[in-house]
Amino acid sequence: MGWDRNPRASRARTFDEAMALPLGQRDAHDLAHWSDDSLMAAVVARDVAAFSALYDRYAGLVYSTALRVLRDPQLAEDTAQEIFVRLWQRPEAFIPARGRFATWLLSITRNRAVDEVRARGRRRRREVEEREEQPLPLSAPEEVDPIHLAEVREEQRAVRAALATLPPEQRRVLELAYFGGLTHQEISAALREPLGTVKTRIRLGMQKLRAALERYR
Amino acid sequence: MRFEHVTQGEADEFALGVLEPEEQRRIAEHALTCEECRTRLLDAQRVAAMLALAPGLRPPPPRLKQRVMEAAGVSRRRAWLPRLARLSPIAAAAAAVVLAAAAFAAVVPLRAQIDDLRQENGRLQSQIDDALGQRVEIVALTHRLQSAEASAWEAQYEAQMDREMLLALLSPESDTAEVISVAEGYAPIGRLIWDGDQNRLFFVASRLPRLPDGLTYELWVNVDGEYRSLGTFNADSSGFARFVRYLPEGLASYESAVVTVERVGEPGRHGPGVFFVADLRALR
Repeated sequence: MGWDRNPRASRARTFDEAMALPLGQRDAHDLAHWSDDSLMAAVVARDVAAFSALYDRYAGLVYSTALRVLRDPQLAEDTAQEIFVRLWQRPEAFIPARGRFATWLLSITRNRAVDEVRARGRRRRREVEEREEQPLPLSAPEEVDPIHLAEVREEQRAVRAALATLPPEQRRVLELAYFGGLTHQEISAALREPLGTVKTRIRLGMQKLRAALERYR
Repeated sequence: MRFEHVTQGEADEFALGVLEPEEQRRIAEHALTCEECRTRLLDAQRVAAMLALAPGLRPPPPRLKQRVMEAAGVSRRRAWLPRLARLSPIAAAAAAVVLAAAAFAAVVPLRAQIDDLRQENGRLQSQIDDALGQRVEIVALTHRLQSAEASAWEAQYEAQMDREMLLALLSPESDTAEVISVAEGYAPIGRLIWDGDQNRLFFVASRLPRLPDGLTYELWVNVDGEYRSLGTFNADSSGFARFVRYLPEGLASYESAVVTVERVGEPGRHGPGVFFVADLRALR
């Protein structure tokens, strides 16, 4: 995704460079320009300012993802808190070699939210009745770096455009799978469609999505 | 049971979490030991994670950051602030004065601590700078030492060679010939010492023209009418050359010697011709 393409800072661009700066020169403005990996390296070194910068950068995404899955602002807030606390307590769980930070963070957020939904046993009732949600306008805390924000906007436009090219039935199964946390069988039951049809729609949808988002991955 | 590689479709289903738990677990276990499948799964997860952007961003509640910081243990709890808001106006005003005084009292030692920390940081930074400077000096000294050591070895080698050549000159078993320059009208420019005692041959000469790149001097000896190469050498920038060679087995004597100019890396005679002649008969 585009928002962790190592945006450039005026003085320090990496963790090592920033550590080389005398104390006092490494301010919040600098940290807002650090790459995700550099901030995570600083979090591993127990840098509270880096943790705060990561929160500012991703709180909106984490909260929104949790809210989209859980449909409950209070539960979404609790989940977002849990994700960031886990990030601070076990930053080594993120392994840069396995992929980008944003991917990892959104994956664990979504998985945690889905677990919560399943634990509460509310999923089936809600998903069947669920209506198509209108995309929300993008908004973000003022602390977020404008370059980062612009990249998120670009990514969002690309994802929405890619989804818009899918037939509604393919888009629907992808949403039920990702945000609803439903299995093949559960989607099949919820939509009253044969299992094979559901599988085909998922595979075709992901195939098109992958092709459309090639340059953002 | 052997597990087949994960297909792209299965990777997508895995990333979306639509597989039944048993299948999800089997794929995850397989990916632990199969890099190819792991890469495919990670890529599928990247695509799936982008779906999180589709609904749009909602700003988190402003209080969430404070909650996160407190829960992570990196921020002090400020539970007293809401309590203050619940006090009556007079009590709140009194509490505010008390708090202000307390805060002022707390700020003074805190500022002193910050100043101390800044000074300490300055001292540490200075020590780090000093240590880095010393490290640079040590590296420079090490380089100089290595250079001096190399020069010493070279000088020692030269002295050893001089000593051995002197022994060869003094040995009654040695033959010494004058090296004559063809280019300079047969002027003597050096010596060729055939040391049968040490079984070595010394060639020493000066005023040798500096050869262009790709050319080298080659020493030949004539044995029974046939020239045999004893190796190549080069002159230094002043035109001086000293070439020492152990005599090949079976080579007990020679009739004459020549030095030719040859092309580097091309054994045999290729060069422009004989350059120097060592005439044994002159000094034997």
